[in-house]
Order: sequence, then structure tokens, then C-alpha cells
Amino acid sequence: MPRYSELVRTMTIKEFKLRYRNSALGFLWSLLNPLAMMVILTLVFSTLLRGGIENFPVFLLPALLVWRFFSIGTSMALWSIIGNASLVTKVYFPRWLLVLSSNLANLVGSTLEFLVLLPLLFALGMKLSWLTAFLPAVLAIEFVFIAGASLPLAALNVYYRDINQIWEIALQAGFFLCPIIYSASLIPSSYALLYSLNPMTRIIESIRKIFYYGTLPAAYDLGVPLLGGLILMMFGYAIFIKLEPRFAEEI
Amino acid sequence: MEIVRVEDLWKKFKIPHERRTTIFENIIGALQMLGGKTLSYEEFWALKDVSFTVAKGESLGVIGENGSGKSTLLKILAKILRPDKGNVAANGRIAPILELGVGFHPDLTAKENILVYGTIMGLKNSELRKRMDSILQFAALERFRDAKLKNLSSGMQMRLGFSVAMETNPDIFLVDEALAVGDMGFQRKCLSKFKEFKNEGKTIILVSHALNLVKEFCERTLLLSRGEMICFGETEAVVDEYIKRVKVA
Repeated sequence: MPRYSELVRTMTIKEFKLRYRNSALGFLWSLLNPLAMMVILTLVFSTLLRGGIENFPVFLLPALLVWRFFSIGTSMALWSIIGNASLVTKVYFPRWLLVLSSNLANLVGSTLEFLVLLPLLFALGMKLSWLTAFLPAVLAIEFVFIAGASLPLAALNVYYRDINQIWEIALQAGFFLCPIIYSASLIPSSYALLYSLNPMTRIIESIRKIFYYGTLPAAYDLGVPLLGGLILMMFGYAIFIKLEPRFAEEI
Repeated sequence: MEIVRVEDLWKKFKIPHERRTTIFENIIGALQMLGGKTLSYEEFWALKDVSFTVAKGESLGVIGENGSGKSTLLKILAKILRPDKGNVAANGRIAPILELGVGFHPDLTAKENILVYGTIMGLKNSELRKRMDSILQFAALERFRDAKLKNLSSGMQMRLGFSVAMETNPDIFLVDEALAVGDMGFQRKCLSKFKEFKNEGKTIILVSHALNLVKEFCERTLLLSRGEMICFGETEAVVDEYIKRVKVA
């Protein structure tokens, strides 16, 4: 691993640069997009539909940001092998480095989104508390989960480009199946267990407890996604290693 | 001392008769097969039972007609393709210069590509920044340092590839017909550089259709035809054999 640290760093910087290349506003889009979503969703679900959630923007935005971390992270990683075809077909290095670098570039992006948008949340009435110190832990655990999901997605997408389409639908389903625009307490008790075992639900609940309810995340809020992420990573890495030898032929 | 050993190497490709890249196409194909349709790809052996060794400091030429397996062989040596049977052992750091370019990203600038590729080849970032000017200078691309790779001509890309690959100081060079795109001045510059490398005891494996170059440069040569090793030995004799076979055909 230390052998590759410099390579991972260089590749991460490269990924980050490429993400905003050829765009006039660059990183600003990473802020404008969640802000626009926040305004739209607040308008629909708080003003028009009157969901009755107090201070909806503060309820929504942190959840939206962790969801973006996951959805953008996995959908970028999906292309991390194919998008680097010119490298994969010309020179050897462990291919998982491409997936990791894509994930890390996304981590940098999401961290910056949080850092810049946190003051806005305070301005919107969120209370500054020591619980904010838990943010890095939540993001770190979510990162493990994202990395675990990214490995098989990136590898399978080399062989079957439909993975991309399937994943897009899965992400759309996920957006509504996670408590992003509504409160998890609305779920009927017969579905509650299954619902709450979704690692992304737990991540969102963690972040909401920290920033909205002002309480400490429970052990299972962080334990479920961490365990899920580690299991995914084990299976994901096994799939990746199995498919890796023929990447250059199939790409 | 032997630096590259290839033993009983076999490599198979599948040539599809109809391309299937989506799951839907695969399902349709599977259904058709249930209906009695035969497998829709055929196996194609790109390399069949190839064995040879290269000594440290030696230059090996690889010649043969198009599709004879030369590039496949080089890609296997570079670890980009995995062999189906046999063993490949290389004792040292390898710099492959395959076809055009060495592994550049079209949307990165010349400078950024040097950094990424150089790091893949195991150089330190600080080291690369120090050598940046000399790399660009050798490629005669100082003016284009901040141009995106896709905006450079194929000759320029190749020059950049050569310059950075040489700077990574590998033990083994794999060169696949890459010199052909460069202009005469650059070709000459590269050849004298290669001679320098040879004197330093570095190993070069050269795939080329330029038989004069092979004769001038390589002690031993491997002749491939349809994936099979026709002969392997003194360059002079192998090149003569190749010419003879072409004439007969």
C-alpha cells in the first residue's frame, strides 16, 4: 500500500481535475446543485405539500449531501475503468487503484461541499454543537460502503454496459427508499426493520441526528453501514479480482 | 544472465460472430442457443506454444506478418494481457511503448500526463517535476506543455511517450512499431538513445516491420506467423527466412 500512495495521490488529483475540466463554473456546480435541489424540494415538500417538518432546509440538506456522496461516488466509480481505457490497455498497475482514486476524488468533493455548506446550515437555524465532530466519522464509514459498492460496479461495467443503466434506476429507487425528503418515522412498523437495515438509511439517520435532532447517533446507526461496507468490500474485491485479468480485452 | 523467460505461452481470444455487450443481447443469445443455435464466437489462438529467453543487455527483434501475434506477445510481457497457458517471467522494471502513446489521458495536458504516467512507472512526483523540462525538451514539446493531449498530433504524442518512458529508467523496453510515426530527426535521436541504453546493459524487445532497423539493432530475432514461432536465433538468418517465406507466398 505505501508503494502506491504516491500513485493514488496523483491519480486522485487527476480525477478531481478532470471532473471539472471544460466547465466554466467548475467546482461551483457541486455547491449550486445541492442548493438548487434544496430550494426545489423545500418548495414542493414544505411549502406546497405542507409535510409539517420544522425547518425543512436543515432537515433536508445534510441528508441530501450524504446521498450525493453515495450516488455521485458510485456512478463516477462505475466509469473509472472504462474511462481510463487509454491507461488500462497500455500499462500495467493494479486496476483497483483507479476505483480507489475515483472514490477519493469524490471524498474530497463531498468534504468540500460539507465545509462550504455548513455555515449556510448555521445561518438557516441549525445549532452549532460538539456533535459536528462526528461528521468525519460518518463520512469515513460511508466511504467504506461506497468503496465496497464501487469495486463490483466498475468491474462489471467493463463487461456489461447495462450496469450503468441498472445503477441509474437503483439510485433513483434509493433516493425514495431512504429517508431523504421525509422522516423515517413515517414507515409502518411492519416494514420498519427491513427499512432500517438499509445502510444508507442509517447513514442519513446518523447525519440527521447530528445536525437536525442534536442527538448522538446510535451504535447501530454507524455499525450497520460499516459492517455492510466491509462485507460489500470483501465480495466486491473478490468479483473485481476475478474479472480484472481480461479488462484490457473487454474494454 | 537471463532477464526474460517465456515458456509454452498460449493466448486465446474470442472472436464474436455477433457482438454482445449488453445483458439483453446475452439473454437473446442464450435463448437462441437453447433453440439449437451454436456458440456465436469462435476461439482464436493468437499465440501458440511460444518459448524463448532474452539475456540482460540483449536486444530482441520480433518480426512477422500482420496478425501474427507480435503485439499480443508484447502486451503479455507488459502484463496488460494475461496468458491462457504457460509462464512469463521478467526480471526487472518494464517500460512498454505500445502502438501510439504509452498510456496517456486525452483530456490531460502534456505536463499532467507526464506526472501520471511517470508515477505509474514508479517515479516520485518531486523527481518528475525536476525532470519535467528535460522530458519536454527531448520531445521538443516545450511550447505544448499545457496543451491537452488530444490536441497534439499523433507524432507529437508518440514523442512525448518515448521521452517520458526513457526518463523512467526501466530495465526492459518493449517497443511496438512506435518509432514509425516519428519524423526522421526524432527517430535518429531515439536510436542513439537506444544505443546508449544498450551500452548501459538494458534490454530492448523491438517489434518492427522495418527489417533494416531490426538487423542493425537486434542480436537475435523471433519470427512469428499465425501465432506460431517459426524460428528464433541470429537476426540475419531469421530475417532471411522471413523474406524467403514472403517471396514464396
